[in-house]
Amino acid sequence: MLIAQQVINGLAFGATLFLLASGLTLVFGLMRIVNMAHGAFYMLGGYIGIVVSALSGNLLVGLIAAIAAVAVLAFIVEVGLLRFVRGQELPEVLLTIGVTFVVADICLWIFGGDPQQLPAAVRPQGSFTIGDFTYPWYGIFVIGVAAVIGIALAVVQTRTRVGAIVRAGVDDRETIQAMGINIRWVFTGMFVVGAALAAIGGTIGAGRQPILQGVQNEVLLYALVVIIIGGLGSIAGAAVGSVVIGLIDVFAKTYIPELSYFTVFLPMALVLVIRPQGLFGKAA
Amino acid sequence: MSNPATRVTPVVRPSTGLIPAGVPGSGGGFWRSRWMQVAGLALVFVVGLLLPYLGTNSFTVSLTSTILIAAILASSVNFLVGEGGMASLGHGAIAGAAAYGAGWASKQGWDVGMQVVVALAVTLVVSFVYAVLSMRTSGIYFLMVTLAVGMLIFGLASKYSTVTNGDTGISNVARPEFLSEYWTYYYFVFGAFVVATAVLWVVRQSPFGASLRGIRDSESRMRSLGYSVAWYKVGAFMISGVIAGLAGLLSVWHTHFVSPTSTGVERSVLLIVMVILGGIGTTMGPLIGATVVILIENVLSSYVDRWQLILGLVFILVILFARAGVAGSIAKLVRRIRRRRGSAPPGGPSGPEDAAEAVLSNHPA
Repeated sequence: MLIAQQVINGLAFGATLFLLASGLTLVFGLMRIVNMAHGAFYMLGGYIGIVVSALSGNLLVGLIAAIAAVAVLAFIVEVGLLRFVRGQELPEVLLTIGVTFVVADICLWIFGGDPQQLPAAVRPQGSFTIGDFTYPWYGIFVIGVAAVIGIALAVVQTRTRVGAIVRAGVDDRETIQAMGINIRWVFTGMFVVGAALAAIGGTIGAGRQPILQGVQNEVLLYALVVIIIGGLGSIAGAAVGSVVIGLIDVFAKTYIPELSYFTVFLPMALVLVIRPQGLFGKAA
Repeated sequence: MSNPATRVTPVVRPSTGLIPAGVPGSGGGFWRSRWMQVAGLALVFVVGLLLPYLGTNSFTVSLTSTILIAAILASSVNFLVGEGGMASLGHGAIAGAAAYGAGWASKQGWDVGMQVVVALAVTLVVSFVYAVLSMRTSGIYFLMVTLAVGMLIFGLASKYSTVTNGDTGISNVARPEFLSEYWTYYYFVFGAFVVATAVLWVVRQSPFGASLRGIRDSESRMRSLGYSVAWYKVGAFMISGVIAGLAGLLSVWHTHFVSPTSTGVERSVLLIVMVILGGIGTTMGPLIGATVVILIENVLSSYVDRWQLILGLVFILVILFARAGVAGSIAKLVRRIRRRRGSAPPGGPSGPEDAAEAVLSNHPA
C-alpha cells in the first residue's frame, strides 16, 4: 500500500507543479520570456494566502487575496519594467532575476524567516480509508484544483476568442497586430494570468510544503524542468511533465534519496540533448 | 525561436562587422583610451601588491582575497558572455565542483598535490559535460541548460552524502603549508587573479577570440564561413571552466570549507550580477562587480538588514539604465568628453559598451 500512497503523493506534488509550470509555460509561449520571478510570485502568493486565510478562517478568501496581490505586482512588473526591454531576451530574464531578489527580501522583511504552512483549520479536513490504506483528503483536493484549472485553461485556449488571440499571438505577432489587436495588452494580461496561477500554486501548495526563504528558487527550478521536458509553451506538455516529475521525485526521495535531485534533472538533460524542443513542443 | 523580424519593437543597432569596432587592437584611434586602461590596470596592480602594507588588518586582507576569488570566477563568466554571448547560470557549480574535488581528496587524507589533481580532473569533466550539453544552444536556451546542469551538481552535492557529506559539507580542507598565513595566501590569490586576467586577455586578442565574437554576433554567418561553431563554443567553455575551477580551488583553500551552498544557483546568479554591474566584456569589470557585490554582501549586510533588496534594485537599475556597467560607462564617458574636445575622430571606434550592447540587445539569429 506504500506504493499507492506514493503514487497519490506524487500526483499531488505534480498538481502543485502544474499550477506553477502552466503559468510559466504560457508566458514563455506567448512572450518568449523565461520569467525567473515566477518562483517569487509563488512564494508571495503562498505567504499572503497563509496569512489571509488564517485571519479570515477561509481558504477561498486567502486564495483570492493571494491572487489579487500577486496579480497587481505582476502588472507593475510588466508595465513598469518589462515593457522597456521588450524583445531583448537577456535583459528580460535578468530583470526578472532582479525582481526575485527584491520580492524575496520584502517577503523576509514582512513575513520573517520561519517556515509557514497553511493552517490546518482552513484546509479540507479528514482522510479516507480503502482497506488498510488511509490518505488525507487534502492531497486529493490539490489534484482536483489542478485538474479543474488545467481543463479550464485548455478550454479557454481552444474554444474562446481570447484563446484564439493568444494562439495567434504565439504563431505570428505581426499579423495579429495588423488585425487590430493591441498585443502589448495581451502580453500584460498573459503575464498577470501566469503570475496568478503561481499565486494559486503557492497558496494551495502551502498546505503540503511550507513556504520559506529559498523556496522561490526550488519551485522555479522544478517548474523549469517541467516545461523543458513538456515543451515550452505547451499546456499539455506542462501537465505531462508535472505528473512525470512529481512521481519521479516522490519515488526517488523514498528509494534512492542520495540521488533524488539527480533523478529529476537527468530526464531534463536527456530531453535537451535528444529532443530539445521538449515532448510536446514545436520545433524551434 | 521566432524570427527577429516578427519582434514587436526591434532595437536598431548599427551592424557590426565580424570583429566589432572597439575591440582592443582593431582600431587605429583606440590606443589613447588603451593608455587609460593600462593606467587603470597599473593602479590596481600596485594597490593590490601593496595592500598588506597599507595599514590594513587581517580582516581587510582576507576580505580582499574573497573579492579577488569572486573576481576570477566572474572573469570566467565575463569571458563567455562578453566574447561568446553565452550567459551562463552554472559557473557557481563548476567552481563548487572543483572545490568538492579538492575537499574529497583531502577527506581521503591525500596531500595538497593530489587535491590539485583531483580538482583539475573534476573541473575538466564537469566543464566538458556543460560544454557538450550546451554546444548547440544559444541565448536563453544556453542559460537554461547551464542552470539545469548546475542544479544537477547542487543535487549531487547536497544528497550524495557518501561522497560529499551532504548538507554538512566538507571542512578542514588544508591548503599548502607555505600559504598558511593570511597574507601569503593573499599574494597567492592576487597572483592567480593577475594570471587568470592575463590569460583571458590573451585569448581575447587571439584569432580564437575574434572567431568567438563572430559567433556571438552572427552564428549563421560564421557557420556559412566554414567555422564549426559548436566546437568553438566547447573550446570557449573549457577555457572558462578551467578558470572557474581555479577560483573554486582557491575558495576552498581560503575558507577550508565547502558546502552545497557554494554550488547553488544563487551563487551563479550573483556572478551574472557582478559581470553586468562591472561591465560585460571589459577587463576590469569583473573586479569592479565582484568588489561591489562582495562588499554589499559582507560589509553592508552588517549595517543594513535589507541588503538583498538593495542589490536587486541596483541590478534592475543597471539593466534599465546602465547596460555597459561601471567600467563600460566610464569608458563611454571618457570618450564623450574627448569627442567634445575634438581629439577623437567622430564615428571612430567605440569602446567596451559595444560588447554589452551586442550581448544584451542582440536578437537571436
